[in-house]
Amino acid sequence: MTFYGVIFYLLAIVVLVSTLLAITRRQVVHAVVYLILSFVTTALLFYLLGAPFLAVLEVMIYAGAIMVLFLFVVMTVRLEPQEGTKGETLRQWLPAIVLSFISFSVGGILIFETPTSRLVLNTAVATPMAFGHYLFKSYWFPVEIVSFLLLIGLVGALYLGRQESKPSREKGENPS
Amino acid sequence: MKTILFLLLLFPFAGGFLLALIGRYLPRRAAEWIGCLSVLASLLMAILAFPSAGEKRSLFTLFDWIRVGDFSASMTVSYDPLAAIMTLMVTFVSSLIHLYSVSFMRNDRDYVRYFCYMNFFVFSMLVITLADNLVFLYLGWEGVGFCSYSLIGFWYSDVVNATAGRKAFILTRIGDVAFGVAIALFFLFLNQFSISAINAKASSLNAGTATLLALLLFWGAVGKSAQLPLIVWLPDAMAGPTPVSALIHAATMVTAGAYLLMRLFPVIALSPAALLTIAAVAALTGLFSALAALGQKDIKRILAYSTISQVSYMFLGVGAGDVAGSMAHLIVHAFFKALLFLGAGCVIQALREEHDIFKMGNLRHRLPAVFWLYLAGAVSLGAIPPFGSFFGKDRILLSTFSHPEAVYKVLAVIGELGAVITVLYTFRMFFVAFLSRPSAPEGLEKRDLQIPKFMIWINLPLAILAVFAAGLDFPEAFGGRAWLSRYLASVPGGTPLFPISSGFERSAEIGSGLLNIAVLVTAYFVYRPEGRFLRWLSPAALRETLGAILFHGFYLDRFYQIALVGPYQKMAEVLWSKVDERGVDHLFEDTGIALRLSSFGLRRWTTGRLSTYLKMLLLGLMAIISALALGWYSLR
Amino acid sequence: MIVPYGNVLLLAVTLFFVGAVCAVARRNLLMILIGVEVMLNAAGLALVGASLKWQSLDGQVFVLFIFAVAASEVAVGLALIVYLQRRTGSVNADHYHRMKG
Repeated sequence: MTFYGVIFYLLAIVVLVSTLLAITRRQVVHAVVYLILSFVTTALLFYLLGAPFLAVLEVMIYAGAIMVLFLFVVMTVRLEPQEGTKGETLRQWLPAIVLSFISFSVGGILIFETPTSRLVLNTAVATPMAFGHYLFKSYWFPVEIVSFLLLIGLVGALYLGRQESKPSREKGENPS
Repeated sequence: MKTILFLLLLFPFAGGFLLALIGRYLPRRAAEWIGCLSVLASLLMAILAFPSAGEKRSLFTLFDWIRVGDFSASMTVSYDPLAAIMTLMVTFVSSLIHLYSVSFMRNDRDYVRYFCYMNFFVFSMLVITLADNLVFLYLGWEGVGFCSYSLIGFWYSDVVNATAGRKAFILTRIGDVAFGVAIALFFLFLNQFSISAINAKASSLNAGTATLLALLLFWGAVGKSAQLPLIVWLPDAMAGPTPVSALIHAATMVTAGAYLLMRLFPVIALSPAALLTIAAVAALTGLFSALAALGQKDIKRILAYSTISQVSYMFLGVGAGDVAGSMAHLIVHAFFKALLFLGAGCVIQALREEHDIFKMGNLRHRLPAVFWLYLAGAVSLGAIPPFGSFFGKDRILLSTFSHPEAVYKVLAVIGELGAVITVLYTFRMFFVAFLSRPSAPEGLEKRDLQIPKFMIWINLPLAILAVFAAGLDFPEAFGGRAWLSRYLASVPGGTPLFPISSGFERSAEIGSGLLNIAVLVTAYFVYRPEGRFLRWLSPAALRETLGAILFHGFYLDRFYQIALVGPYQKMAEVLWSKVDERGVDHLFEDTGIALRLSSFGLRRWTTGRLSTYLKMLLLGLMAIISALALGWYSLR
Repeated sequence: MIVPYGNVLLLAVTLFFVGAVCAVARRNLLMILIGVEVMLNAAGLALVGASLKWQSLDGQVFVLFIFAVAASEVAVGLALIVYLQRRTGSVNADHYHRMKG
């Protein structure tokens, strides 16, 4: 159990706990906040696993942009705090938990049956410069496509979110 | 030559086919012309082909029909003298009967169906006559069975007729099964379907196999030709129109059984046991049906039982090894039986559908032409020398008698007894129906229907042939030329297996001729019109019982009804109501209900809700991962 | 020397199915989207671990693309949610069952 190993396990525990907490919150805002914590911890994990550039990007994009976007939408969409009646809780959760557990078990078995899983990872770092070189050397084309994709996403979001300039707008905005 | 034979078969088939397709839209005359012309054209073809019979090459393949792997069955015909004579007879008699039918069915609205089936029947019969390939022959065999069924039940709106048709079909089917098995066995043992090849290779069969094959073929012939024990369909088959009875159940279809045995005679001749069986059954049938004919009242039923009896003589001839003699009798029988039936048809129509001979009478004055024609037929049937079937029948009986085994002599005696009774019932029929009766009501003549003259005069050629057909095979013992025997000598079995010594022949024939005339005279005295025959017989009770037994054909039909048909119908009913209605139907219904329920159950998955679909996604993911794991794990 | 490769994968798998449970079991559309985000994140974690193991930068490049795609997908998804809220006033997934068969 090396030093890095200890750090890994600590971070893993934090990630797991915060994610679990996130998904079980009734209030969406609480869930989002816990999730931000989870993502930041994941970023630390990335750093540990030798991807500093990605770690920063994780904080910036995931925790910074995506979760903030969530918060904005939560503010816009005035939600009812409760979600369904009490009686339905087990019916909602049980199938999902069972199925996931089965899949998880199978996945776990798969992981621990392969011999390569026992190899211990060596530390290494991918400097941003090396990363950038590699990215634009071999994967420049996907980068272009991804930028195009982002453009499409932007246009789509704009279109869907536009306000209709009609008198019925008043009625549409009233929460029912 | 091949073309002629091909056209011979094609014309009736094309006629039937054309009538089936467009007969309804044609004017009546046109449809009748098509029906008759097709058969007349066949007759022409038969006449054209006739001189070439007996030549070296007699096999012609008309059409490659089935060819599957190693198995092939082509439509091959074999035109030897036997086939030539038979073809000529079939086409000739069919033509005359078709022409007769035109006026017989003049008031019937279903004439298209009638002529269509008649044409198809002629086609099928010609196929049987000419076919060399057994599968092809079976096609014709089944064809005549089907056309017979359709034509017997022609007036199917009366359920009696339909039942009679069904009965005929089922009973002949029992025979057909044996014939089918025989065909399969021929292929199994000799790897051949061709009759000529089978006949050539026949000697390679051992006696047991030959017996089996011969008996199977005989059973098939028994069904088709209404011999014991499958006779009960023929009297009921008289429910069809009279020309149908004349054509199918007198001249052609019922003789097909005997003809089949004659064609495959080399196989049958290998087995003395089979020959004995054939002869024995034939003799018994002859006597049985002759007695039954003696007790009938319906003129057509008399003729039906008479047909059974006469056909049994043909079988007796085959059993005795004399194909030429059987053939001679077959030809003459076709003529006089058709004549009798057609004449009976005239009488029945003229007397407004009266079938009972005891209600007819004085037809000499009412229908003079029919009187003389019918007399010609009766004389021919009754074998009054030197006319008609006298020489043919006697030749068969003499061949049987000349057989070395003692059993055959007994059979010959039985056959002679049958011949005597033949004279008896024939002239009973004639005298009772045709001579004047004092008891007949006076004004009867005025009620008679006027029948077309054509219908009567078309019978004239038949009458001439029937009476003078003896000339075909006038035995040499009396100075004749025996033309038919010589003609058929080249056919297998053409020369009798056991030749008759001419001295014996002469004396025997003279003896039986005198016997026939004596019986004729007796019949006159018994059945003459004054009605004194009632006093000649034993006490009324015995006469009634005897009469009833004979009338019901020794109750054979009743017996079959109780023993076979009744239980079968009961079983069918039970199976229908219990098994079919409850079991099978419920099975299907419940399957349907189960499917509906399951589909309802499945429908609950399509809730239209996102959460459900997400669950399903997860389920699918789990399944995929598990499958991958299994696959990967089993590979390790 | 950090940890055995299998442990990293195990963590990623756990996170993935936690996200799956969230996506499947919650009724609120926003929570469903959050579950999707968690799943994507888990995938990225697995990829980074794999990249470290095989000492190849391909894994990390792929994670970058995952980030980009996740971002655009979230944007569009949230826009949809806002639109739905405006149209029908509900973000409960059970509210939308017009496709019931």
